[in-house]
Amino acid sequence: MTQPIDTSIYIAITEAIRDEAKRLLLEGQVSAVIGYAGARRKGSAQPVIISQAEDAAKLIFSPASVNNLALYLTKAKKEIPKNGKIGIVVKGCDLKAIVGLMGESQLKREELYLIGVPCAGVLASTAQPSTGLTAETIAPKCTECNAHLPAGCDYVPNVQLPAPLQLEEKYIAEITRLEALTPVERWAYWKEQFAKCIKCYACRQVCPFCFCEQCLCDRNKPQMVESTPRPAGNTAWHIVRAMHLAGRCAGCAECERVCPMDIPLNLLNRKMAKELKELYAYEAGFEVNDKGPLSTFDEKDDQSFIK
Amino acid sequence: MQKYISKQNLNTLLDTMIAEGTRVVAPCLNAGIPLYEPIKSASEMVTELLPRRSSKEAFFPVCEDIMSYAKEGQHVSLKDIDPSRFQETVLVGVRPCDAAAIPVLDAVFSWDYKDEFFLERRKKTTIIGLACTDADDACFCSAVGLSPGETKGSDLFLTPLEGGGYACETFSDKGEALITSHKELFSEQTKAKALPLAEPQTEKIDLKKVKAWLDGHFEDPLWDCIAVRCVGCGACAFVCPACHCFDIVDEGTEKAGKRRKSWDACGFWKFTHHASGHNPRNLQPKRYRNRIMHKFKYYDDKFGQTLCSGCGRCVRICPVGIDIAAIVEEISKK
Repeated sequence: MTQPIDTSIYIAITEAIRDEAKRLLLEGQVSAVIGYAGARRKGSAQPVIISQAEDAAKLIFSPASVNNLALYLTKAKKEIPKNGKIGIVVKGCDLKAIVGLMGESQLKREELYLIGVPCAGVLASTAQPSTGLTAETIAPKCTECNAHLPAGCDYVPNVQLPAPLQLEEKYIAEITRLEALTPVERWAYWKEQFAKCIKCYACRQVCPFCFCEQCLCDRNKPQMVESTPRPAGNTAWHIVRAMHLAGRCAGCAECERVCPMDIPLNLLNRKMAKELKELYAYEAGFEVNDKGPLSTFDEKDDQSFIK
Repeated sequence: MQKYISKQNLNTLLDTMIAEGTRVVAPCLNAGIPLYEPIKSASEMVTELLPRRSSKEAFFPVCEDIMSYAKEGQHVSLKDIDPSRFQETVLVGVRPCDAAAIPVLDAVFSWDYKDEFFLERRKKTTIIGLACTDADDACFCSAVGLSPGETKGSDLFLTPLEGGGYACETFSDKGEALITSHKELFSEQTKAKALPLAEPQTEKIDLKKVKAWLDGHFEDPLWDCIAVRCVGCGACAFVCPACHCFDIVDEGTEKAGKRRKSWDACGFWKFTHHASGHNPRNLQPKRYRNRIMHKFKYYDDKFGQTLCSGCGRCVRICPVGIDIAAIVEEISKK
């Protein structure tokens, strides 16, 4: 029998989000609120952008509120009008991405109204949306969460978050397993994973940090990376992606959640994060850093790679 | 022709065909993911899970070489792929929603340009459909006029029976030929009852009404409303049994390389990006509108069919929960 996770506070959070969104829109404090709304399938949720106070009643927070909505604030999402202050519902993991985007001068704090959610976890991509949250159905990223309570938000519903359960930390265990392999074995593992890629680019399209005007991998004058879903181009794409996100990825694991072919992409991101922590004592968090670890030089930086 | 085949005899049939050199494509697990792929033994077939991608790739692979080139000095040599070398294939265990999409693909690949890669594989393939006994709430075949017992697209159709085995019914010469050439494995139909089929929860949608609305609403606030959340990936198109857009690129070096055909998707910003830099579908709602228009209007205008069989894969896979069944239902009520 799998251990249930208490998400009863999500009912109160839903009420609080609705009230706050309604107030913000009525008072004209924000031009829009980005949050989650229910959808057709039982228990499902999807991102929604509302600009009318009466639509605030559509907002919900549930274990199916999986998306990192920070995506919609970036310049990659040209469809979202960026006029005036925007309200956004954020979990701790999503907030880290917003903080990272502020550090990269992509977002301004004063243009955002952050509605923070005390979060006990959301569902894994493998679970049907109507499933209850348990130690089995929880998203792998939530097993390692250190950001249940977002800090520095404009508003956080006043609810008591139940003490998080001790869950098996899914990525740490898997990274330890892969690190113990020989390079040949590890390469074989990743080759098998990348071979599954069909180049749908869902991983890129949901990433808040993939806001490049034109992705290197979309270039065809000249072509930088083979675009067809074949081993060479797939491998190049996933390595380019992992390296470009090193020191930037905030760990929301959206890339992995949305992969239709179940490629464990967040393992690459977590491995990079581990390296960054060991080398530069850097970790994505709630504090804005103007300079990322890989965009600054310090004489004390590790030089051991120069042989 | 109506016959009965036991589960064991079905396995024998598949193993015999594999031994004879036929390519047998069936739902099976690959690195833990259910996919329609060539199997080496009937025991690999897994019919309980809906394959993550549709059966279209038996004719229209994710990526294939269509030509190769080599350059030596001033001499350029081109080498065609010979489609006549494609193997005889049996596509078995096909869900009704996947099988029903195959005639839809036939229409477009044999329209003004005859796509010999698709058509040659298609000609050499016998399709064994399997009635569906398991639907979830993303399924909506019943909304687009199909059903878990739909036989469209199948040459031979299997219906699981109580007590094991299948009732099989033929719908084409290919299906009859398959039974005739292995008649010792089939027996006369039994009186056993069919297992209860899946019960999709969606009501039938009036697709004529949907089309009539689409005819007059190329510009409409609905597109912004439903598609502003679309992230512009190709997941929906790639898992779809009916989407058929592809890109052609040359990959290689100056000396040698291949011309390749691979899946494309109207959700990508690059899909309509002109060489001039102009993009008529510059924002995501315009791209998503094309997805709906193509499925429920343009394709119907041209071929009198709907480009959607309600498999629900796009609903399950969409990173942001866009639900085409809910959208079409909403349009039908306008």
